[in-house]
Amino acid sequence: MNTTEQSCLPGMVFSARQHTAVVDGIREMAKETWAIRLRQPELAEQITPGQFFMIRTADGSDPLLGRPFALYDTYADQDGRVVGIEFGFVVVGKLTSLMTHWKVGDTVDVWGPLGNGFPIPSAKRLICVAGGIGQTPFLAVATEAIGLKRYGLPQRQLQERPESVTLCYGVRSREYLSGLDDFSLSDLQVEVATDDGSYGYHGFVTELLQQQLETDRHEAEVFCCGPEPMMKAVAAVCRDASVKCWLSLETPMACGFGACFSCVTKVREDDGTWDYRRTCVEGPVFEADRLVL
Amino acid sequence: MNPLAVQLNRLTLQNPILVASGTFGYAKEMTAYVDFAKLGGIIPKTVTPQPRPGNPPPRTVETASGLLNSIGLDNDGFDQFVAEKLPYLAGLRTSVIVNIAAKTNDEFRRMATVLNAAEGVAAVELNISCPNVSGGVDFGTNPELAADVVRTVCDAGDLPVIAKLTPNVTSVVPIAQAVADAGADAVSLINTFQGMAINWKKRRPVLGNVLGGLSGPAIKPLALRIVWQVAQAAQIPIIGVGGIQCIDDVMEFIVAGASAIQVGTANFYDPGLANRLVDELTDVVAQEKVESLTDLVGTLQISRAQ
Repeated sequence: MNTTEQSCLPGMVFSARQHTAVVDGIREMAKETWAIRLRQPELAEQITPGQFFMIRTADGSDPLLGRPFALYDTYADQDGRVVGIEFGFVVVGKLTSLMTHWKVGDTVDVWGPLGNGFPIPSAKRLICVAGGIGQTPFLAVATEAIGLKRYGLPQRQLQERPESVTLCYGVRSREYLSGLDDFSLSDLQVEVATDDGSYGYHGFVTELLQQQLETDRHEAEVFCCGPEPMMKAVAAVCRDASVKCWLSLETPMACGFGACFSCVTKVREDDGTWDYRRTCVEGPVFEADRLVL
Repeated sequence: MNPLAVQLNRLTLQNPILVASGTFGYAKEMTAYVDFAKLGGIIPKTVTPQPRPGNPPPRTVETASGLLNSIGLDNDGFDQFVAEKLPYLAGLRTSVIVNIAAKTNDEFRRMATVLNAAEGVAAVELNISCPNVSGGVDFGTNPELAADVVRTVCDAGDLPVIAKLTPNVTSVVPIAQAVADAGADAVSLINTFQGMAINWKKRRPVLGNVLGGLSGPAIKPLALRIVWQVAQAAQIPIIGVGGIQCIDDVMEFIVAGASAIQVGTANFYDPGLANRLVDELTDVVAQEKVESLTDLVGTLQISRAQ
């Protein structure tokens, strides 16, 4: 007989729960870019970098469904107890527009943690490549990789920390750059590219990645999150350089936990064919080689 | 006596709160959020004779208080379901109603025969109403064809048979009556309404499959109308489905004539709802001072005089 463990998909989280959370803070990070803190200790102490959760307004039916958001970072109370999560978002639709008007003390529905998250870094060099709001997962990824903080229940322990951690972060233009203060961590090297040259390197973030891979590429692994064309380009760069690459997909979802079969992406099978797989319970982080991009 | 117990001809449920096919995965997905033992029953995602990859994304889009979907019966096929998913489902302490779809009577017969021999199946629900696959709609829009399928599945064994009907017809009543006459134990009313979403600036449909099925609170008045019409005219127990997201919604379907209900789209955005509804139904029975919820079924009064 099939047991739960045998058929458990990597992103199916049996310890996830549906909660009410309280808005603990809201800040504007950049143009059309915001961050919200939600107080929800049970979720905060479980979640790991690259995992996500679903958020829904507590009442009404328009917007109807929850929306997925990735962990930016957890935060602690005065006693150092992890009590909440912070996430970043760009205003793109109905819910995100409403969210910019949320006030401290408002309650919202949230469920998670969801998805597999990024793996524990295993190479000597970790290079995170972010496009736009795709920077979201990398604060926690970097914080953990550098050894400043631990996540999860029980807390994850890195066997061996990477010798270097780099964030290559690309945005359209300077006013969309968010969280540079948060990312100014000792031992985190941050390289910024803007499409219009208004800040940092003038060009695409993939070019920053190529520069990074000019030396010691065999010791590197890449974690990437951003718009699909950018991730496709990053995957191609990594394939050419024989560097292991993980992509975190931003597929639209209706439920986040595998019930609806909306969020499918083409995943390669061992026999070379492909099948639609659910991003929420098989990802959202996939080895780039497994995806048909 | 259990005041929430429901009898749908040969099918007995511990309470009338079911979860709709296609909104609950194969139950394992819901483990973290739902106490299965508390539910009246679980209807897993539709299974077809052969594996189906499903439709290209985008497969869903939210509309005003609704969800338009075109998943396309993405599933790993009946044999894989029986070998790998059914043993898990059968171990849950609730009624499991297996939902099947096929393009021919022979395929329905084959699956029904296997399910009749399997452990832990309480009933079969026939999806003769999915709007998102070619060949899927025909059975459900024609009373004779619908009756043929029901007869075929009834002849395959003793399992109770539920026909899930489409609203995308001029009138559901003759189809409901036809499947009742053919031996169906109940009808699930209704599947999704065919709809469309458009991005006019791109001059493109939003869904990968162009058309989809609409569900969610937006369709509740439409579903209530059909439940009421069928309850008036056809002789068969009704399972109401369409936009239920709170106890008042449940009771509206009950008084309109449904003996049980299915929570559908709400499972996606409030997975704990179905469990809460069971508790709240117990409260309603107490408040309404009736012995059994059954006493409230079809109690809608129409005053013609005013």
